[in-house]
Amino acid sequence: MSEPLTASALLGRPAWPARRMAIWGGIVVVLGLLPVTITNGYYLTLLTNVAVTMILTLSLNFVIGRIGLFSLAHSAFLGIGAYIAAILAQRHGVSGWLTLPVAIAGSCIAAAIIGVPVLRLRGMFLAVATLAFGLFSEVFARQASDITGGAYGITGIPPLDFFGIKLRGIGMYELVLAVLLITALILENIRLSRFGRAIAAARDNEAAAAAAGIDIARTRLIGFIVSAAFAATAGWVYGFFHLTLNPYVLSLDITFVWLFIVLVGGLGSMRGVAVATVLLGIGPEMLGFASTQQVLISGVLVLIVVLLAPRGIGGLIENLEARLRRPTP
Amino acid sequence: MEFLPLILLSGLQVGCVYAMMALSYFVIINATGILNFAQGEWMMLSAVFGAALLTAKLPYPLAVLCAIGGATTVSLIFERLIIRPLQNRNADINTLVVALLGILVVTRYSTGLIFGREEVRLDGPLPASPIVLGDSLFVLPQTLFVYGATAGTFAALWLFLHRTTFGRSFRIAAIDPLGAQIVGVDLGKVRFAAFAIGGIIAAILAWLYGPLYAAGYLMGEAPGVKGFIALIIGGLVSPLGALTGGLLLGVFEVATAYYIGSLYSEGIAFVMLMLFLFVRPQGLIASRWREA
Repeated sequence: MSEPLTASALLGRPAWPARRMAIWGGIVVVLGLLPVTITNGYYLTLLTNVAVTMILTLSLNFVIGRIGLFSLAHSAFLGIGAYIAAILAQRHGVSGWLTLPVAIAGSCIAAAIIGVPVLRLRGMFLAVATLAFGLFSEVFARQASDITGGAYGITGIPPLDFFGIKLRGIGMYELVLAVLLITALILENIRLSRFGRAIAAARDNEAAAAAAGIDIARTRLIGFIVSAAFAATAGWVYGFFHLTLNPYVLSLDITFVWLFIVLVGGLGSMRGVAVATVLLGIGPEMLGFASTQQVLISGVLVLIVVLLAPRGIGGLIENLEARLRRPTP
Repeated sequence: MEFLPLILLSGLQVGCVYAMMALSYFVIINATGILNFAQGEWMMLSAVFGAALLTAKLPYPLAVLCAIGGATTVSLIFERLIIRPLQNRNADINTLVVALLGILVVTRYSTGLIFGREEVRLDGPLPASPIVLGDSLFVLPQTLFVYGATAGTFAALWLFLHRTTFGRSFRIAAIDPLGAQIVGVDLGKVRFAAFAIGGIIAAILAWLYGPLYAAGYLMGEAPGVKGFIALIIGGLVSPLGALTGGLLLGVFEVATAYYIGSLYSEGIAFVMLMLFLFVRPQGLIASRWREA
């Protein structure tokens, strides 16, 4: 594994991986310039969608891969963020930009409230308990029509206003890309930080981490809340990209697709998850599968990955790198 | 207050569904340490198979047996193909969770693809005319069937786990797999039997829950999650925990729907889960001998 071992996790801060950052920087510049050549609205929408999804899958990758908490509640956190932003902007005329901190705060509070009891559970039990929260929030969004607009949801969300320009199409694409970039940078920074190394240590060896003075329960709770903040950010962009919002965003179908993207990508591997998000976000559409079959496709893929390549696409990339670096005689 | 008997009757009926689901989780956890999320899907499969077989004019008892057998077989195929290889190579718990979720999703959505996405009616074994007990009090024969079948399943499972040698080896296998092997317990056999019994209980549940609701590819979702919550409320050490937790959750849910509003009845399960995790994480029926 390229990840730091428990012991080294407790030592100094590793340097920023400069070469890798340069490659990613290049990719981002190319992606940012893409709208110059892509004028087809369909592809632009598809790309924006992939970028929105990636914000969430990166946050899921953080909570599952880094902290080792199997959360199925993240689409609920995304939904909470999206609904808060949509309700404030559409019904109360609050500026779209100001709804972001409120959305994040709302999701973080929810994560803190359910995190305290639920994080006592581990593995399979945590997964089902967070699933229960996801299920509850979907039912709530469907039934509390006074607040959420019920099954029809909220329509006519005003687009974000950037110094007089309404952000849609290309403008929204660039904004989503910027948010994605910031998310990735912050998550990478957390990984290298003292806190991030403490999280990894707690995941790999609880006893050793506790002996080194890490408050495991607290570290995990904070990590859980931080990841909910990113999920809320994803929800915020989701709302202002689609300009409508309905309970489908909270449905288990979506939860499973996002989760499986992370797993196919390889837990803990940001590169793998990014690649998987693009492949699974664009692939089924391009091959002509209905979006309803996307869940099934990702489910089959995940079973294949679990049995044949347990570390996912990220693991495959690492193997490839290792082989390129040391050619076998 | 005049509706209290009615609330109890219907709450216990819902509770029986949750209790059966919890029992099917319990058998597998108790023997293998695996919380098999996909249990709700075996119930769904049994109901969908049954509805299809009844449409094909198969005699009722035969349709029930075939549906239960079919659903259990599918569950065992998944155990063989996916769970066993993973356990054999000592896969970590996250990998297992992933695999179980994969099984759940593949089962659910391929059923939707093959059998269609509409919900269809599933006839109960008893006539649908209500039995009048009093002024505003009546009970459906299906409700009595639900009570009876749950009681029967619980009693059979309890006797099996506590009074037969093979059943006792289930509990030993869960507590100390190595010790169990030393005293001659065949762990492979125990695991297979546990998955089979769990599958059968879930498949039987289809014939309790299906006629009250409908058969469709999404029907396993809610009972699957509620059954788990029932298990946490009741405790993980004895089938009695699954039963108590299920009945309690069912009654609370129906009472909340009636007294406060149906919007909150879905939330009460989650609130109870949180409350129990806070206050009594070991569940109502905790054990004297089991550590943590």
